[in-house]
Amino acid sequence: MEIELIVFLVMLGVFLLGNFLFKLPVSLSMAAGAVAGALVAGEGIPLRHLFEGTFVYMDTILIISTAMVFMTVIQESGALEALNAVIVSKFYKVPAVLLVLLMFIIMFPGMITGSSTAAVLSAGAIVAPILLQMGIPAPQTGAILAIGAIMGMAAPPVNIPAMLIGGGVDMPYIGFEGPLAFLTIPGAIFTVLFIGLRYCKNLDYEKIKGGLDLEIGKKYGIKLYIPIVVIVVLMVACRMLPNLIPNLGMPLIFMIGSAVGLFTGKRFNAVKAIREAMKTTVPVLGKLMGVGMFIQIMTLTGVRGYIVINCFGFGLVVLYAAICIVMPAFGAVSSYGAASVLGVPFLLALLDTGDQVVIAAALSFICSLGDLMPPTALAGNYAAQIVGEKYSKVLRYCVIPFIVCVLFGLFTLLKSRSLGFLT
Amino acid sequence: MLYIYLAIVLFLLVFIVWNMIQEKNVLLQIDAALVVVPLVLRLLLIK
Repeated sequence: MEIELIVFLVMLGVFLLGNFLFKLPVSLSMAAGAVAGALVAGEGIPLRHLFEGTFVYMDTILIISTAMVFMTVIQESGALEALNAVIVSKFYKVPAVLLVLLMFIIMFPGMITGSSTAAVLSAGAIVAPILLQMGIPAPQTGAILAIGAIMGMAAPPVNIPAMLIGGGVDMPYIGFEGPLAFLTIPGAIFTVLFIGLRYCKNLDYEKIKGGLDLEIGKKYGIKLYIPIVVIVVLMVACRMLPNLIPNLGMPLIFMIGSAVGLFTGKRFNAVKAIREAMKTTVPVLGKLMGVGMFIQIMTLTGVRGYIVINCFGFGLVVLYAAICIVMPAFGAVSSYGAASVLGVPFLLALLDTGDQVVIAAALSFICSLGDLMPPTALAGNYAAQIVGEKYSKVLRYCVIPFIVCVLFGLFTLLKSRSLGFLT
Repeated sequence: MLYIYLAIVLFLLVFIVWNMIQEKNVLLQIDAALVVVPLVLRLLLIK
């Protein structure tokens, strides 16, 4: 057995032991796996390399943290609740459109923050009572929240697995918006209609109205939405008018949006709200730090190259099968980990088969679906908690949308060359 | 732009450290420390 394989098995073994047996946080389990790998490879404890690894995700950390601050501000200001109320009161006569729009609300925080946890905990918690009052049973509501959050996590503008895969091959995160929208929007629409539409043929608006806050929209009007408009305008303007507007970067755009949001809706204790937001964000950031260390040690010890070379040795059929099965399964550990550990070699192995950005986007989409995999199942477990069900019951209703989404991802991989116009 | 970004890093760092100090679970404190170290290094422009 080659030394690289032994090192990789030790790293995985220590990580799994730490996470499942000793119940350590994912970040610490990954750091422990990285240290064990370095020791077995004869590198000692390479502190410099361990912290070098964490810097790979510095930009991502800043984006997630500031996006979380922004989401907290618009949630506390009442903008999300008002948007919910507007959509339900305007579209209750057309349940299919209503469901799709509610799905987009669930996705929104995930799109902005790149975190399915953020989507479930913020918009998911607001939309869930509405879905339940519309007559959708709790397990099915949980499934809509879980998959909606994952579609949001994978949707543009922020998709962290795509950033991780791109970072692994020095590919800038540019041109991903089209392919990611192509993958996630049909997936989200299919899921919400497939699971929810049969329960919503005849909606009773009077019943649903009880769960809506109709006053907040009347009190503050259109100005509630100004922070959202500001960030969309700044994001678009920086891309469209690079000669007029300097590239502000996503963190600064989110901070500007957050500052505006403090004055456009309900008054709230900003310091307390941001502190709470950071409390839920730190474990996600820690996980990225752990992934960074893990990948850095894999690179240092030659494990990463070993995996890449072995991936080249697979036939294309085996490779596609591994992408559809192993990548989402690795989500039981971490979907970010799947993107870094498996996404990068898979992308390298598929580089010649079509458009590289479309391939990276499809791989990131399939990786993101791993957030449904128990026991970690971040999106799924939080969604189940919100609707007050066991995750095993919720998971049952996620199976068909999950399979359809993976197959759609596979179709995109196979047709990436002809989908190159999306980039 | 550099100083604006350093200010953002400092802003986030304050909240993360605050949470780390208030956290009762030692493992979660270590978890937060993992995030704090690179942010401090970036703030001091060491890395």
